[in-house]
Amino acid sequence: MSWRSWLQTHRWTLATVIVVAAMLLPVALDRDDFPLSTFPMYAEARPGTVVLPTAVGVDAAGGRQRLSLDVIAGVDDPLIAAAELRDAIAAGRADDVCAVIAERLAARGGETPTARSITAVEVATERHDTVARVRGEPSEVAREVHARCAVEGST
Amino acid sequence: MTPPVDRGTGRKDPNGPGRHSTRNGPAAHDATRWPRPGSVAPPERLAAVRILTGGFAVAYLAVRAPVILAVRDRAPGTFSPVGVLWWLDRPLPDAAVVALLVAALAAGVAFTAGAWFRVSGPLFALAVLLLGTYRSSWGQLLHFENLLVLHLLVLAVAASADAWSVDARRRRGPPKAGHDHGAPLRLLCVVVAVSYAVAGLAKLRYGGPAWASGDTLANHIAYTATRLELFGEAPAPLAGLAVRHAWALTPLAVASLLIELGAPLALLGGRWRDAWVASAWLMHLAIAATMAIVFPYPLFLVAFAPFYEVERVVPWLRARRRRRRRAFNRTPEPDPTIGVDP
Repeated sequence: MSWRSWLQTHRWTLATVIVVAAMLLPVALDRDDFPLSTFPMYAEARPGTVVLPTAVGVDAAGGRQRLSLDVIAGVDDPLIAAAELRDAIAAGRADDVCAVIAERLAARGGETPTARSITAVEVATERHDTVARVRGEPSEVAREVHARCAVEGST
Repeated sequence: MTPPVDRGTGRKDPNGPGRHSTRNGPAAHDATRWPRPGSVAPPERLAAVRILTGGFAVAYLAVRAPVILAVRDRAPGTFSPVGVLWWLDRPLPDAAVVALLVAALAAGVAFTAGAWFRVSGPLFALAVLLLGTYRSSWGQLLHFENLLVLHLLVLAVAASADAWSVDARRRRGPPKAGHDHGAPLRLLCVVVAVSYAVAGLAKLRYGGPAWASGDTLANHIAYTATRLELFGEAPAPLAGLAVRHAWALTPLAVASLLIELGAPLALLGGRWRDAWVASAWLMHLAIAATMAIVFPYPLFLVAFAPFYEVERVVPWLRARRRRRRRAFNRTPEPDPTIGVDP
């Protein structure tokens, strides 16, 4: 049997070996990628107290209101939104992000009376005891504001 | 005349030529039980998986189009190309992203219909690969589409349009001889098994044996719930319940590890396959309910289609329709004179 003929006969066995090897390569190299991945989702141990980036609306009385994913990052995935905010804060672009969020908020015209009462946006990192929070207990341990900007047209 | 071999189970088919047997043999001891090595598959099975996977991918792209196109608004400074786009030194022009999505949708429809498959197959797989890679090239790798992309790539290079396709209708004859329709399907099954096993290995590697204690799982559930709340979203419906009864998370964590590491057992077919697919699906359901994280491809069961003789659904549906028509035709017409006063 010639090698061409052998290849033709065993092409799918060969393909399977190559594909499996390719899928195990990220594991061997310990390097996550797409679409070949180590699939490390939620694999690492996570502490009970974590620091998370976020953006909040602030009303005239200083009260904080949570903003939606759509307003904060224009996406529906909290993973992407958190990554964007984290990157912006780390790169010193918190003021720029704050302005963009404030613009989005103003453009939506305040869809609810509560939203319309927001006069400013704060980009911050908050440290929370996540287990306490899910149990309904006070959870905020610390908070650091990286940027604050006014919302145009607010009441 | 020797009956042809049943292309579903490898057993002789007494139904005669041209009739694909739908009988189930004694699968418990059948060494050629699907998807075991040695078992064969008809072109209709590969075609059914093509239709299911292609249809799912097109629907997914259509529904997620706004999210996919939202990458155009990402800050250029956060662009960090991965995978096949490693060579890019700046984001793609906005028009290119739109064009890629439109091309993917068009190619996807052709892929699903099995039209010009030699071109539409690889084109669709490549387009989805590029879109998924681009979405993961902004500092955060996403893992929702890996399995779908790998499956599309395999289907694209296989004889997936030999049956139940526009190309097959145009051909008006049997498919080209020598095409293997079982091996690509088995490869799809292997891809699923390896993906889940690698995920299980990752938990042991990065989290250590302590991952099975349940505390890590509780912290992850609490973390995702908190993150959602900080972004003004409601947490997963069962997040609070799970964390308040954290004692139950230890067996669930162990079960997750066993399901992922045990994925290769599904390749044995039969009850092993059924048990594993059911467990994996329940695991995804639990992840959605406790962490609001949805992996649509397995959650809608499309990822597991290659493990099954899915082509049998069509004759089963046809037989059901025939039985209903016969039952309807046998039902006597109601007597219009009953209940009428003389």
